[in-house]
Amino acid sequence: MTTSSHSNYLNHSKGLWSWLSTLDHKRIGLMYLFTTLTFFLVGGIFALLIRLELFTPGQTIMDPNTYNRMFTYHGAIMVFLVIIPAIPGALGNFIMPIMLGAKDVAFPRLNLASYWIYVAGAVFATSALFLKGADTGWTFYTPYSIRTNSTVILVLTGAFIAGFSSILTGLNFIVTIHKLRAPGQSWSRLPLFVWALYATSIVQVLATPVLAITLLLLMMERLLGIGIFDPKLGGDPVLFQHFFWFYSHPAVYIMALPGFGIISEVIPVFSRKPIFGYKAIAYSSFGIALIAFIVWGHHMYVSGQSELANFVFSLLTMAVAVPTGIKVFSWVATMYRGQVRFEAPMLYALGFLELFTVGGLTGVFLATLAVDVHLTATYFVVAHFHYVMVGGTIMALLAGLHYWFPKMSGRMYPEKPAAIAFWFILVGFNVTFFPQFILGAQGMPRRYWGYLPEFTLLNQISTFGSWLLAVGFVYIAIYLWKAMRNGPVATANPWSGLTLEWQTSSPPPHDNFANTPVVTQWPYEYRVEKA
Amino acid sequence: MSNSHADNSHGHGHHPALAHHFNNMEDQFEAAKFGMWLFLVTEVLMFGGLFIGYIVFRGLYPEMFAEAHKVLSVPMGALNTIVLITSSLTMLLGVTSAQRGERTKSVRFLWVTILLAACFLVVKYFEYSHKFHEGLLPGALFHNEHITHPKAPLFFSLYFMMTGLHGFHVVVGMCLIFWIIRRSKRNEFSPEFYTPVELVGFYWHFVDLVWIYLFPLMYLVP
Amino acid sequence: MESNDHQKHSHHFILPTKTALTIGAILLGLTGVTVLMGSVHLGSFNMALALLVATVKASLVCGYFMNLKYDKAGNGFVFSTAFLFLAIFAVLTGTDIFFRGDVYVKGPLLAATSGGPAKFKTPWIASAEISAHGKELFGQQCTACHGVGGAGDGAAAAALNPKPRNFTANVGWKNGPKPSQIFKTLKEGIAGGAMASYASLPVEDRWALSQYVASLNPQPQKDSDADLALVGVKGGNQEGVETASSIPVEAAIDLLVNEAKAKKAGT
Repeated sequence: MTTSSHSNYLNHSKGLWSWLSTLDHKRIGLMYLFTTLTFFLVGGIFALLIRLELFTPGQTIMDPNTYNRMFTYHGAIMVFLVIIPAIPGALGNFIMPIMLGAKDVAFPRLNLASYWIYVAGAVFATSALFLKGADTGWTFYTPYSIRTNSTVILVLTGAFIAGFSSILTGLNFIVTIHKLRAPGQSWSRLPLFVWALYATSIVQVLATPVLAITLLLLMMERLLGIGIFDPKLGGDPVLFQHFFWFYSHPAVYIMALPGFGIISEVIPVFSRKPIFGYKAIAYSSFGIALIAFIVWGHHMYVSGQSELANFVFSLLTMAVAVPTGIKVFSWVATMYRGQVRFEAPMLYALGFLELFTVGGLTGVFLATLAVDVHLTATYFVVAHFHYVMVGGTIMALLAGLHYWFPKMSGRMYPEKPAAIAFWFILVGFNVTFFPQFILGAQGMPRRYWGYLPEFTLLNQISTFGSWLLAVGFVYIAIYLWKAMRNGPVATANPWSGLTLEWQTSSPPPHDNFANTPVVTQWPYEYRVEKA
Repeated sequence: MSNSHADNSHGHGHHPALAHHFNNMEDQFEAAKFGMWLFLVTEVLMFGGLFIGYIVFRGLYPEMFAEAHKVLSVPMGALNTIVLITSSLTMLLGVTSAQRGERTKSVRFLWVTILLAACFLVVKYFEYSHKFHEGLLPGALFHNEHITHPKAPLFFSLYFMMTGLHGFHVVVGMCLIFWIIRRSKRNEFSPEFYTPVELVGFYWHFVDLVWIYLFPLMYLVP
Repeated sequence: MESNDHQKHSHHFILPTKTALTIGAILLGLTGVTVLMGSVHLGSFNMALALLVATVKASLVCGYFMNLKYDKAGNGFVFSTAFLFLAIFAVLTGTDIFFRGDVYVKGPLLAATSGGPAKFKTPWIASAEISAHGKELFGQQCTACHGVGGAGDGAAAAALNPKPRNFTANVGWKNGPKPSQIFKTLKEGIAGGAMASYASLPVEDRWALSQYVASLNPQPQKDSDADLALVGVKGGNQEGVETASSIPVEAAIDLLVNEAKAKKAGT
């Protein structure tokens, strides 16, 4: 094996086709990364336009119909094409097999197929942009989604196709984790990022098929008028919401769980302390995955579902706070009396803790039936959702991106610009979304193109925050791009991590390891060094 | 790269179907089978959505189901059940023959399976054309004078969605069986490597499983 | 190593042809049982039995044809999780679908939601008191469109099409002129016009309004027990009449279906 610094997965073979047809999980991971980040840019531009429109109470830059399309696209792209595939598809694909000491995922061809299916879904969904758009919101609630004249069917088809990508990735990961662990890599020595991806994959495999059938039924509803969700034909529109949220609530955890995994890796490395409550963190991922399936009705408190269902779902929803609370407690306890280093991955991990805690606790408000009746479909929900998804998943993604950047590119990113960008994002995020809690509590409904004049000030603060956020993200893109091309060369293990990906060179060779590694210890045996 | 395999535990040549990231054929087989079971889990949940729809509307309008199901032909449904179960059996015999290395026998059983699948589709075609003719169609397309219950179109929505999705799986199954026949003729399978045959078998048995429930639920509602 | 692989493979269980044929025969036999059961009527037992037989057949297919009986337990466990989650899906959806109708808003709770203890124990029976209460409410809620005297000549009437109902004539009542029928109108509103649902008013206030409006009719009509039963008053018991200030999903669906049909018939 010629594992010199000259031979790695990046220069293993050349040409565009060698990338597009690659079976190497690392290259597929990078393709996911670039594609999801591209869609993140697109979805982000829509978000900026939405905020710009809301700068004044009446019309600012677009008419109401355009606005409806904007928020639908922002939601659908960010959910189906960015947050769901980003961490598992990009970082999971790249890092997880190396963490296991494997040469690849169990089914490399299926892995490539997942990527191209995802691209096909994305093409369908975005093609509607150039036709009559879609104006249903990302939730596609019936009966409006059946009647609207927009090209919602293309977005449905896109989400339907992208769903299969998600299913196949989950399936591939589960088999990989079961069957391809290196010698000595027992379940109790598995890195927590792998545990988190395992729980995520289970949710993907169990929930996404229901999305497939839901969207298929909705397409048939539009094409043939089968009536199952159409009240005019005797069907039940609330049943659609059950179908939709049976997938889409667990999907929230498909988005969040991999992020938890990244945080569980970053915090012990940058605190130089063994992770607190390894088993508790690992098992709580499964607790979250299971509870994910029994709480969906809390999206439907005011939908007309029965009082019994409201009561049952409100009660069950409270249970989500337990496993997530265990995780947050364990992370904080890991940092306690550790030797905390404030490099970019750790900054983002701390930002994650702040934002996710706010997002999680406001979730308890929304879980409470009586409170939710007031807050439902207001900006309070928008703020809560963004604190969890951007504050949780995107912050974790950024933590992981900086943490594994040396491994993926073989180069170091610059620390100071990273810190500046972090503060822009943290401050910008809070300025954007905290006012929305207040707006929501005051009763400003979401998804409206206009608002009462008394909400103007808070909306303008929020819009101003969105610009700070944009500056932060653009800055990250610039310095990472520069670092990728001519940053200082990274060593194999710049953060002194103990998981397997740091035992191979940066960037790793085509087969990941010169020799199959043998795992002899738990990967969190960090020790605080005496100064 | 070319010598990376040699680093692996087995020094001397290995089965051509062994991928570089597996240690041996057994691990690879177990991984593929595990993956197939997971895939079948997703299939159960996808069909499951339709079964939930069935439970909901049957629970709400039992009298509608009792009235509407009478237009389905029990003999035809029963015939198709027999055809599909027999095809499952021939599929199984095709797989076990492949496991024993009896190639010609295996291919013969697989052809019989395709033939039975085609029979199933022909019967289904007659059933469908009868429904089309009578206006027994899903939702908005429904136009039949004899069934009076206002919610009856829902029954046919469920009927066509469930049997249609199942029929689509039958067609896909036929293609898959044809694919393994081709590979078998090229002598790609042996008692050491027959993974695709066994897994297509699983898929086919699953198609049978769905029908085992569809038949009583659709045709025999009391 | 290679020889080792080979040995391992020869351990794979291959189902004997005889067993395969036996299981196949049992499956076909059970299909016959299922069909025969269809011709015997055992009420709801039929379905349970048919499903039981189907499950036995499914277990045979999984156990023998798909080898689960001889395989590692893991694969069977994985497959069964699918059914566990499907059951969760079914049961929790069922808590909504089969329990609609606001089961908890009854009796004392109902009184609380209607704004304190009831002033009228049987508001569906006309009395001078209740008509007086109704008149007071009419002045607050209805005169803008229906006019002070209820002749459909309120200030806002000019702008409306269709025109508001003239309560002092015995013609054109969409739902009928009896108190229970007016009560229904107040609850649901009238589609296609400006008459909205007044379901947000407490139940007894709506009864009071109904009694008063019915009394404006030149030939006032009375409710029979059957009429009252239609709006949920059975045997002098109001329980279940009114639940929350919303209409049940079922009723909404029915409304929409009928509306769509009427439209279709009209065109």
